Amino acid sequence: MTYTRREILQTLRMTELEHFDIRTVTMGINLLDCGHDDPGEAGRRIYAKLTRLAAALPSTVTQVADDLGIRVANRRIAISPVALVHTRPEPSSYVAMASQIDRAAGEMGFDFVGGYSALVHAGFTDADRALIASMPETLSSTERLCSSVNAGSSRTGLNMDAVRMVAAMLKETALRTQDRGSIGCAKFVVFANAVEDNPFMAGAFHGTALPEVVIHVGVSGPGVVCQAIRRAGPCDLRELENVIKQTAFKITRVGDLIGRLVADRLGVPFGIVDLSLAPTPELGDSVGEVLEAMGLERTGACGTTAALALLTDAMKKGGAMAASAVGGLSGAFIPVSEDAAMIAAAREGALTLEKMEAMTAVCSVGLDMVAVPGDTSEDVLSGFIADELAIGVINHKTTAVRVIPAHGMKAGQSVSFGGLLGEAPIMEIRNLSCSGFVRRGGQIPAPITSLRN
Amino acid sequence: MDRRALAIAVTDILLRHLPQSATEEAAAAVVADLIPLVESAGEPGQEAEDRRLVIITVMGKNHSGIVHAFSEVLAEYGVDIVDINQTLVHGNFAMMVIVDLAGARTDFQGLKAALKKRGEEVHVQVYCQYEDIMRAVNRI
Repeated sequence: MTYTRREILQTLRMTELEHFDIRTVTMGINLLDCGHDDPGEAGRRIYAKLTRLAAALPSTVTQVADDLGIRVANRRIAISPVALVHTRPEPSSYVAMASQIDRAAGEMGFDFVGGYSALVHAGFTDADRALIASMPETLSSTERLCSSVNAGSSRTGLNMDAVRMVAAMLKETALRTQDRGSIGCAKFVVFANAVEDNPFMAGAFHGTALPEVVIHVGVSGPGVVCQAIRRAGPCDLRELENVIKQTAFKITRVGDLIGRLVADRLGVPFGIVDLSLAPTPELGDSVGEVLEAMGLERTGACGTTAALALLTDAMKKGGAMAASAVGGLSGAFIPVSEDAAMIAAAREGALTLEKMEAMTAVCSVGLDMVAVPGDTSEDVLSGFIADELAIGVINHKTTAVRVIPAHGMKAGQSVSFGGLLGEAPIMEIRNLSCSGFVRRGGQIPAPITSLRN
Repeated sequence: MDRRALAIAVTDILLRHLPQSATEEAAAAVVADLIPLVESAGEPGQEAEDRRLVIITVMGKNHSGIVHAFSEVLAEYGVDIVDINQTLVHGNFAMMVIVDLAGARTDFQGLKAALKKRGEEVHVQVYCQYEDIMRAVNRI
């Protein structure tokens, strides 16, 4: 036989039994040519362009997925950072544009569009300020729009004014969406070293150096990796890394194939495969479970950071060989509310925010989908965000914070968002004051390692 | 000569040379006759690109008539079987069939729907995938 029985059955086991799916096929679309002094006109141009370019994506993806017998969980759009689309720089202008983007996405059947974003790592334009000021209203009045702010980079340092602005914005958004567990905050992420070709939400946007339209693919597959580790039994760490690498290779090959086929059929260039392990709340689809399969009693135990470092690095090594171009965030995500084992660990107190912060030094992104008490002050939130972004700035890696200061909720309770966003236990946050530091404002200058020329 | 015509010619030769009580010598004679024919067929070339291979996997509780149920569907649509393998995995029936859709009287979706329907009738699971996925996962 062209393929052995074993090969066919193994492939089928991966696609049918181990929750393997392609997490997202994301179309990046340049909107910089949609600007207009009149925000109404800019919104109409955006609506027209999105519906012209993206309408065929969902059905094309469905067809390719069906041909290959692979599930593709999400179809999404990433747009140019909206702060860069020229219009009158007032918050109301961006709210008007946001409603057109939300409408276009809804009509075409997309669940999320990323790119309601501002890049302010070295300072603000008038448009950036207006866009950030509009976020509470946009995040509470739209369903599908995801938003981000890049507040730091290894080249420019950390914009603390932006961090404080984001903290205040999150508090207001939490208040405005309090009837739904402060869900508005779950659609926003603040970055250091944001990447321009990330296909995953909430942080996706279409970078300014990318082509007019492009297809990116985000793969996943913690379930497949977990089963492979369990089958490998009590092998040593070098062998364990090998098992993960081989599995990552297979997973990424499928993502590459899907991306090429979709891009071909749409006549659009293929961008990158982001080979991140992205969990869902479903049992057996958890990064925490992978760590526990490696030999930890619970995620958060001593050894967790080392295990996660091995996992993230092995994913990259295996995946990099399997795709024509690897990009995005690539590694392993550790979003608490979207991961069954992480939820359990946080509930039991095994996983604390401090341990998570350490883990983010070696994972692919950062403190993701963590809920903290609603009475956490703006200053404490600012310090919390600044700590995480500083890790990224100094270490030349992407870090991010997606935190939900759940309005009216206390540590030990939990908020449920439903669907992919899952359920977040409210975690204890250290409430000691950092006001004297964060209120100084200004920019933490770029690290010495930025001088690389 | 395309592969289909080649297959028909091969079958003709087999019928001519091999009675039901065929011996090893008779088989050797068939091979001798076949070699020049295969050589004249040349490289598959363009033809290979037109082949659309689909992998059908059937799994379920073993009972009689499963192979027949599915080969009947394939014959009905003129779908060419390239390779077939049937076994029991932990006592369960498992069959893997590689078929070529070039020249079939249906497309992928049509075949998939027909096979799924038949799968329900005989109480087994049917998976239908283009071969590309196997190549991506199992071949460098």
